[in-house]
Amino acid sequence: MIDTPSPGPRPDPSEDSPTARALPPLPADPALIHGVGDRAVAWLHRHRDGFHPRPEPDTPDREVRDRLKPIGELALIGKVLFREGVAGSRQAARARQLLDHAWREHLDGGRLLAWMQREEPLSPIPFEIYVPFRELGYSSPEVEENARLTHGLNSWAALEAMPVRRLGLAAFERRFGLPPSVDPGEAVGATWLGRRPEPWTVGLHIGYGITHTVFHLTDWGENPNGLPADIAEYLTRWLPAWTDDWLEIGHWDLLGELLVVDACLPRPALEDRVWRAFAAAQAPDGAMPAQGPMPEGDEREVFDEVYHPTLVAAFASVLATSRAMGSLIGEPA
Amino acid sequence: MKQLSGAIHDLASEVVSVLRDGGHRSVAGTGTAQGDEAVLRVAAARALGADVLLPTTLLRHPPEEPVLALVREAMRAYPPGPDASSATVWSHWAMERTVLRLTSVDGVADGSGGRPAGVPPTAQPDVSDLESAPWQRLTHQLAVLGALAVPGADSAVAELAGRRSLDVSRGFVRAVRRRDWLQAAGAGRWLAAVDGAPGSLGLDAGLDFVLHMGGADPRVALHARAALWMRAAAGGEGVPPS
Repeated sequence: MIDTPSPGPRPDPSEDSPTARALPPLPADPALIHGVGDRAVAWLHRHRDGFHPRPEPDTPDREVRDRLKPIGELALIGKVLFREGVAGSRQAARARQLLDHAWREHLDGGRLLAWMQREEPLSPIPFEIYVPFRELGYSSPEVEENARLTHGLNSWAALEAMPVRRLGLAAFERRFGLPPSVDPGEAVGATWLGRRPEPWTVGLHIGYGITHTVFHLTDWGENPNGLPADIAEYLTRWLPAWTDDWLEIGHWDLLGELLVVDACLPRPALEDRVWRAFAAAQAPDGAMPAQGPMPEGDEREVFDEVYHPTLVAAFASVLATSRAMGSLIGEPA
Repeated sequence: MKQLSGAIHDLASEVVSVLRDGGHRSVAGTGTAQGDEAVLRVAAARALGADVLLPTTLLRHPPEEPVLALVREAMRAYPPGPDASSATVWSHWAMERTVLRLTSVDGVADGSGGRPAGVPPTAQPDVSDLESAPWQRLTHQLAVLGALAVPGADSAVAELAGRRSLDVSRGFVRAVRRRDWLQAAGAGRWLAAVDGAPGSLGLDAGLDFVLHMGGADPRVALHARAALWMRAAAGGEGVPPS
């Protein structure tokens, strides 16, 4: 299934459009890339209470569990923001404050994760959220005991999940120090990207599968060498076609994730044309819309719509800045 | 304009029909048109360019005089003007080259008047604007010049398409994603002609996909069938898929 916004052919953009201009594919200015992340982190820091899983005293438990997912994403990306030296002291400090706040206020020092483990022992979500916090030095013995207990069950290894999710679980197990419940090589081979199929079949859902396969293989950008050579070669060939497409559609959320993938490649393109358009899509206050222009309306609803693309913008920016500052462009892998 | 697009549609359909069925069939009806219909048919031949002769080129049928006459008339009636786009100039060059190749043993004029005077037979139009074009525009332009994508093509355009085959492959991906079947078929035809697509593109499946999804337009079917024919021939099968 290939999803396009309309059933008819999309006309080629006019010569004035950002996707058609005959600019040479130059790398973007590191200052432009860094600026996107700096503004995004500032927005996330200002809106940190939006991540609270129980925004109202009477928020239903089911909604609380749903609201844990954004905290997991905040933890994984926040850790990268904090760890990357090029992020600059202000950005790293804000990232650390965000993570502290999330652990202390939103997760109640880990107690919320332990609560969910008791509610749904086989849910991998608390474990996935806990791993990046643990790597940063936060700790909850109860969460760890629960995780070890569940991990020993045949049921844990038998969990039915999308191959990319299975790959992610294997990666989190490795990061935690547990034996993987699935062979990592087989887990990669079972993903869409691991099979390297026809690149012209990529649609929105396959696109997110591709980006998350890369996230898991590289420990969310911390270890670009985790990308197998055949997958890196495949991505080097076809990523430009996909970024071009989602840039033109104006799907900033997936485009941001594709820019993360670019920054994980042996020779990232860091394409100026794409980064300029991405930066131009960002609101002056640092929020990144998911698709098209910024949504308007109730503050909480706007937060729910834009927190993810804004996190992704910060993520893409910090990795791309790191690669640009590392002068890795054009050098052999 | 509506009438012209209809005439192009009809002529392309006839070419596709011959390509699809193989066999020694003619591009039916050529030379029988009268009056306005004949004028439109010549204009349609100018639009399709050398592809009017594609069955002769691919299937190696002997050239048929009525088809050659139609192409010659299109060249005579619509010579590229001084301000013609490079696509028009290249298309004209390809017609001239094809007629020469089919009517002579050594690719030079045989005195039958097939080539307008004043154009050296070996001269090729300029290709420099495509050299530096981004891959998106390169693919768009090459698709317009699809009639030049034939087996053994040795034009400067073909040389460029071969050198930038990864860029054309990216353009194929982009065109399929955009549901631009005509551009996808044209890009796929170039990739078949220069045999430069990375294996991971899945070109054969892609051409089948484009033909299935966009083949109701005979211009798409023409490019896609030409490409599939070249792929089959290069793969040693030697016969066009039906």
